[in-house]
Amino acid sequence: MNKLTQNIRELSSNLLKNNKVDMVIGFKKGTIPMAVSPMAAHNIEQTKEFIWDSNCGINLANFISDKKEKIGIIAKGCDSRNIVTHITENKISRDKLHIIGVPCTGMIDKIKLQSNFNDDITDYSENGEDIIVKSGLIEKNLKKSDYLKSNCKTCMHRNPVIYDELAAELVQEQKIEDQFADVKKIESLSIEDKWNYFDNLLKDCIRCYACKNACPLCYCPSCFVNESNPQWVGKGQDKTDIKTFHFLRAYHCAGRCTDCGACVQACPMNINVRDFTRKLIKDSYEIYGWEAGLDITKRPLLDTFSLKDDDSFIK
Amino acid sequence: MKVIKINKKDWENGINQSKKEYQLFGPVKEKDNYIFKKLQLDEYPDMEHKDTLVSPKSILFPQTEKILQTNLDESIDDHHIMKQVKKDYSKRAVISIKPYDAKAIQILNLNFDTDEYKDPYWCEAYKATTFIGLAVNNPSVFDFSSSTNTGPFAEQGLDVLLIDCSKEYLAKVLTDKGQAFLDVAGFNQETDNKKAIEIINNMKKKAENAISSQISTQNLKDKNTLDLYEAPFWDDIAFSCINCGTCSFVCPTCWCFDIQDETKGNLSYRIRNWDTCMSPLFTLHASGHNPRGEKTMRVRQRFMHKLKYFLDKYDNGIMCVGCGRCVKLCPVNIDIRKVCNLMNSHEPDTDN
Amino acid sequence: MGNLLEHMGIEKQRLHFSWISSAEATKFVNVAKEVTNAVRALEPNNKFVKTLD
Repeated sequence: MNKLTQNIRELSSNLLKNNKVDMVIGFKKGTIPMAVSPMAAHNIEQTKEFIWDSNCGINLANFISDKKEKIGIIAKGCDSRNIVTHITENKISRDKLHIIGVPCTGMIDKIKLQSNFNDDITDYSENGEDIIVKSGLIEKNLKKSDYLKSNCKTCMHRNPVIYDELAAELVQEQKIEDQFADVKKIESLSIEDKWNYFDNLLKDCIRCYACKNACPLCYCPSCFVNESNPQWVGKGQDKTDIKTFHFLRAYHCAGRCTDCGACVQACPMNINVRDFTRKLIKDSYEIYGWEAGLDITKRPLLDTFSLKDDDSFIK
Repeated sequence: MKVIKINKKDWENGINQSKKEYQLFGPVKEKDNYIFKKLQLDEYPDMEHKDTLVSPKSILFPQTEKILQTNLDESIDDHHIMKQVKKDYSKRAVISIKPYDAKAIQILNLNFDTDEYKDPYWCEAYKATTFIGLAVNNPSVFDFSSSTNTGPFAEQGLDVLLIDCSKEYLAKVLTDKGQAFLDVAGFNQETDNKKAIEIINNMKKKAENAISSQISTQNLKDKNTLDLYEAPFWDDIAFSCINCGTCSFVCPTCWCFDIQDETKGNLSYRIRNWDTCMSPLFTLHASGHNPRGEKTMRVRQRFMHKLKYFLDKYDNGIMCVGCGRCVKLCPVNIDIRKVCNLMNSHEPDTDN
Repeated sequence: MGNLLEHMGIEKQRLHFSWISSAEATKFVNVAKEVTNAVRALEPNNKFVKTLD
């Protein structure tokens, strides 16, 4: 068992023992290699199931919306930013939460990892920043940093931005030369090529809505895609409808998205839906100097007005 | 039963021959994923393919399908009269479908082709299709098909079963439809049947032994439905569920659909789309009431349908073929194997 | 929003923002003309147009 897992179990069982919270939300080991499952521990016994490794890429802030109980939550950098967003958007109040912060060195892109093997991965373990992966045919020792999820590679907030206690020491933040290289690549395309790029991106979308449902921002009781009276968008596989869904979902995340990558991790078809939200993150940052979820005293970007705001687009 | 030998050198040629009479569907790799699609003239089925992300049920039951159409122009005599959309139901063959996916087609048949109701779109497509299966020599770690009434070499629902014997394929001819396909493709080299069957049986045993994961279903039939319905584990199973439709949409046996009308100008279509019981909209009544308003209810419904209601209604096994797609792709690792075993071993608390 | 639309391949000149008071009839006319001229200068739009094919 790694040190982090041990600390998380200890801290959570203390919280429950001292009746500080009604439940602690964290991850338990999955039934297949490299899978984990969000779980709530209601008693000390259950905290023994908690684990932490580099497969915990799903965002746990998604599991606290509108909860009435007092909650302990394990939060890596991006989870903590979404907790901040939840607090500023009144989805949960700060005093209902006890945050166990986990400084993070990035999560694994398991599709990329699997592509290294001809047969299925049967075992995965970690030793510090090294990962040991076995398949039926071969065992490989790999560097975790070579297999990070793409959002983790450009992450500027590995440390939790808000917490009550920490499960490990803070880590060094990354120095990134060009944070938006991926966005710039699309920006440099001609208008037709951009359109085709997104057409191609969404070709395999099956509209299972895993992206929006894994997203902590998508907490509307009824999403516009599910509305039937009035119906805003067709429900089938028409490519205009599919693009409309992704475009509008992304736009609803403007100034709120923390680039946690849960959408991409959840997608069964391996679609990089971050290509939409990344543009909004870049614009929020470059035009308004805004990064989502850093400060619970600040109102969300699109909910504030300042005379200094750029208004060159209004005629 | 006859076994035909196909030299791999002749394979592509045979595929080309068969394209003259059949539309072919098969697995191909696109953008790092395997998908089943209609093969163009220069395309061949990928015989080494791993599981396609989405099952081949979409060949007979597309995710979005126009079923009826009408014209709204009131100057036309039959305006507003819905008529069946005309479709091409010429001969087609699905190449390299895995045995458990073929079994799944048989399960879908139970819903779309009954004595009482026949879904014309499904039935026509089914009638037109020849299923050329490919036995699974190396089952994936997610495969648990040997405990779901099918298996890596199962024959149910197939017209031909191909077995990959490195230099050649052995083709077990299972139906006349399968024989007709092989004739068109020009595959006719007979072989010593007894010897071939022996080889196949040995490979079959090896493949079945390679399947490491099993589920237990033997008690499900005798369990009381309400006991299972009221079992205490549902909240726990459903906690992590994000209510996406991944499990239903990648499932080869999920058959639920939704009907939508779409209109452009005077042309109006009635369209059916796959639906998923994970979506709250699935059961939302016009009154606003939702009998499955909480996610636990929806998660329970999915598993109860697959593992209990279906079993009770058709007495034909469970509604799962053990392909493992949902196990692999669920973003939060809700594992049907675990749920099935929980249900199978559930004993109600008699104290209450 | 304009930026995201452009990012996805919709020409920026198709989306205009303006602040016009109900008393500014002349501005309204001018903006309307500007918008139609800008959009006419582009090819007819076939993006985000559902065809039901």
